[in-house]
Amino acid sequence: MKLFFSKRINVIVAVAVFTLMVFNIYNIINNTPMIPDQFWAQKIFYFHVPIAWTGFLSYFIVMIAGVLYLINKKTIWDHLGFAAAEIGTLFVVLVLITGPIWAKPIWGTWWTWEPRLTTTLILFLIYVGYFMLRTFGGHPERTSRYAAVLGIVAFFDVPIIFYSVRFWEERYQSHPQVEITKQNPEIIIPFLISLVIFTILFSFMLFYRVHVLRVTFNRKNN
Amino acid sequence: MFYTLVRKDLLLELRTKEIIIPMFAFGLAIIMIFSLSFNASQEINHAFSPGLLWIIILFISSLGLNRMFALEKEFDAFTLTLAAPIDRGIIFLSKAISGTILLLIAEIMIIPPFIIFMNLTIPSDWHIMILILLIGDLGIMAIGTIVSGLSMRAKLSEMLLPILFFPLVSPHIIACVKATNYWFKGLSFINWQAWIYLMLSFALVFFLLGFMIFEYITEE
Repeated sequence: MKLFFSKRINVIVAVAVFTLMVFNIYNIINNTPMIPDQFWAQKIFYFHVPIAWTGFLSYFIVMIAGVLYLINKKTIWDHLGFAAAEIGTLFVVLVLITGPIWAKPIWGTWWTWEPRLTTTLILFLIYVGYFMLRTFGGHPERTSRYAAVLGIVAFFDVPIIFYSVRFWEERYQSHPQVEITKQNPEIIIPFLISLVIFTILFSFMLFYRVHVLRVTFNRKNN
Repeated sequence: MFYTLVRKDLLLELRTKEIIIPMFAFGLAIIMIFSLSFNASQEINHAFSPGLLWIIILFISSLGLNRMFALEKEFDAFTLTLAAPIDRGIIFLSKAISGTILLLIAEIMIIPPFIIFMNLTIPSDWHIMILILLIGDLGIMAIGTIVSGLSMRAKLSEMLLPILFFPLVSPHIIACVKATNYWFKGLSFINWQAWIYLMLSFALVFFLLGFMIFEYITEE
């Protein structure tokens, strides 16, 4: 199997994704209005929300890949699940970093035990366990199966975490993802552009990672 | 077959007592450490005790789960159980139910010393607490059995179990602590029934999921 960047189309896509991301950052810094009481802190909206979206999307892909793997045992689903779990965890870490940066000037505190934050943190901890299971699982085929099961179990845990924390902490707070829907087009359009670009970046990373996993797998088995 | 498997687990425990006694001793040790390290007034003890109780239950249940599945690994007993011509889901149910029974017994042993050492006064409707404990244990053991199944054959299984188990069970524990707290404060059931429903739905979701998925966990 060939290396990922030995195909010319992949190089072109990589350059395109990089250019889009640079454009996105430029667009956010220069072409979005300043919100009077938030100033620069508000700009993190345009990163934080798309990153959170892609993070949760990739955990959803882990679940789907897990189900498909258990059904037909094709290694491609295992690789897809593993790649999505890695990228998802990377994005969730970024969410956990960018969230407090926004929260400190707006809420006046770095962290509060509130549904979205708590759900994200617990999900992150579950996926730390996921990678430990991947590393120490023992037999490779069995490890893949266990990882698929854990991906499904983790997914079913999410709504329960969300609702239990929501009952537990009854005060509601403004959130980047809630606030964004109330804004005017000047903010909405750059935000949607950013969302699309992050999703493209995510898809590219996923393709790349799956390819790397397949190459590694083929080299080990041949 | 389900009864046979549950009976096997309980009979084994009745003869050896190697799960309940360590759970009890460990629980007692944690209670002692808690009461010594906080050394707080009675009001603070009252406010903290529901949370402390469930932390203790969580710790002893992870100890019990480890032991329960370590027993299955000895002499490769689990392979023989799996060879039985039954649905793997039934094996999951039997493990989760016998685990719940053992955990409930350990809790009933632990709670009197907990009350004494923490200087608590208990509301008169204590039978409701038994219900909370029962639903709580069902949820803990449902997810615990799935996670133990995943970690039992891994390297470092003793370490992997709590790392996977605690985050997954955390929403359930929040509900258990809240329900216990409201009961302890003497509020009528109508005010906090949502928590009981949340605990029930957690237990139900993971019993069903475990029943469906255990086949893939135990596949060879």
